[in-house]
Amino acid sequence: MKEVREGELASMAVLFERHHRPLFNYFVHMNGNRELSEDLVQDVFVRMMKYRNSYRPDKPFAAWMYQIARNAQNDAMQKRKYEVELGHADISSSHGMDDKLKHEQEIELLRQAMARLPLEKRELLVLSRFQNLKYEEIGAILGIEVGAVKVRVYRAVRELGQIFNELAGEKAS
Amino acid sequence: MNCDDVREQLPDFWTGALDESARIGMQAHFAECSACRAEAETLSAIWQRLGAIPEERPSRTMRARFDATMEAYVQGLRQAARGPSTREKLDKWLAGWWPREPVFQFGFAVVFLGIGLLVGFALTQHSGSDGEVARLREEVGRTRQLVALSLLQQQSASERLKGVDWSYRLSNPNPQVLAALVHTVNYDQNVNVRLAALDALHPSATNEMVRESLVKSLEKQSSPLVQIALIDMLVEIREKEAANGLKQLAQEAGLNTEVRDRADWALKQLQ
Repeated sequence: MKEVREGELASMAVLFERHHRPLFNYFVHMNGNRELSEDLVQDVFVRMMKYRNSYRPDKPFAAWMYQIARNAQNDAMQKRKYEVELGHADISSSHGMDDKLKHEQEIELLRQAMARLPLEKRELLVLSRFQNLKYEEIGAILGIEVGAVKVRVYRAVRELGQIFNELAGEKAS
Repeated sequence: MNCDDVREQLPDFWTGALDESARIGMQAHFAECSACRAEAETLSAIWQRLGAIPEERPSRTMRARFDATMEAYVQGLRQAARGPSTREKLDKWLAGWWPREPVFQFGFAVVFLGIGLLVGFALTQHSGSDGEVARLREEVGRTRQLVALSLLQQQSASERLKGVDWSYRLSNPNPQVLAALVHTVNYDQNVNVRLAALDALHPSATNEMVRESLVKSLEKQSSPLVQIALIDMLVEIREKEAANGLKQLAQEAGLNTEVRDRADWALKQLQ
């Protein structure tokens, strides 16, 4: 029994090395708070240990892990009512700026646009674009059909584009 | 391929999951529909830019925290696997002695109660604590008298009432307390306190000093309420010596008629 547990501990360490950064990024995009996100990553691994019997080897591991992560995130949101902190980088007109700076400003605008995107849409983009999960896996996490995932991804990108253009318009004026 | 098909397939196009024939179909649609082409270009650019957002890096302490968390978790599991602690074992062992049948439980309880009573009885028999208890009682009595006396001298009427109340708790008030109560009956400014003190003197009515003081008090009272209460009490304790005082009172000019009637009635009672 003891050996089994120690074996589990070692495999958890492997899982941690592999997944802690994507998980951390998922949480940072979802709640905008780095400290909270680090706590939530720890929470996810404790939950994975605790509920390891609920894992089905025939289903994608990522789906199981992100389901746990979503629950952890939702619990934290309910408990702490975190608001996403929007970046306050001062982005002025790009006249005379070099390309690198322009690129950085664009990234910052996009970050802000993401933060303004409704939570469900943001989550969809985080999972598909940042976590590089397949639409099938996202469907398994969210409990919806793969076709529905694609429709939602399309809508999320469209809304993000609108917000991005609005922000860019505000900064230019 | 129409506009809706294109929208459905754009997400696959972005991830590179779109197959060759669908790609060709999409390109053909773009050649005809400039609106779809423009939208696809804009949205694809957004998708591309999203990829440029750099990855957030967690702090270096995360791994250490993870190790500590797992260590603590496994320790907890080992503790659970090791089984119950000595304390829990002892509790279980003791619980094993307790009978399950309610009848035996009741029997045990009765036996223990009996043992307890016997031990208690034996201890009190031989401790010789009777003297101590008596001394203690005496001490408590003295304290009560002190409390009663000090309360009777308070400024506030309610405090003095409390003092009268305390005097009730004395099984055998000493002359000092009785004198204080008599003084209260005669001179307290508050009618209620005077009435209460009068009542408090009732149990000590066999005391000669009290009886004498009550008779003398007749001429000192001015409140009809206290006068009537005093007359009633004198009748109750059958104080014949009060007759003279009652006669004088009845003849007093300007006396309340009810008091006068009561005095006449008392005189008849005491004859």
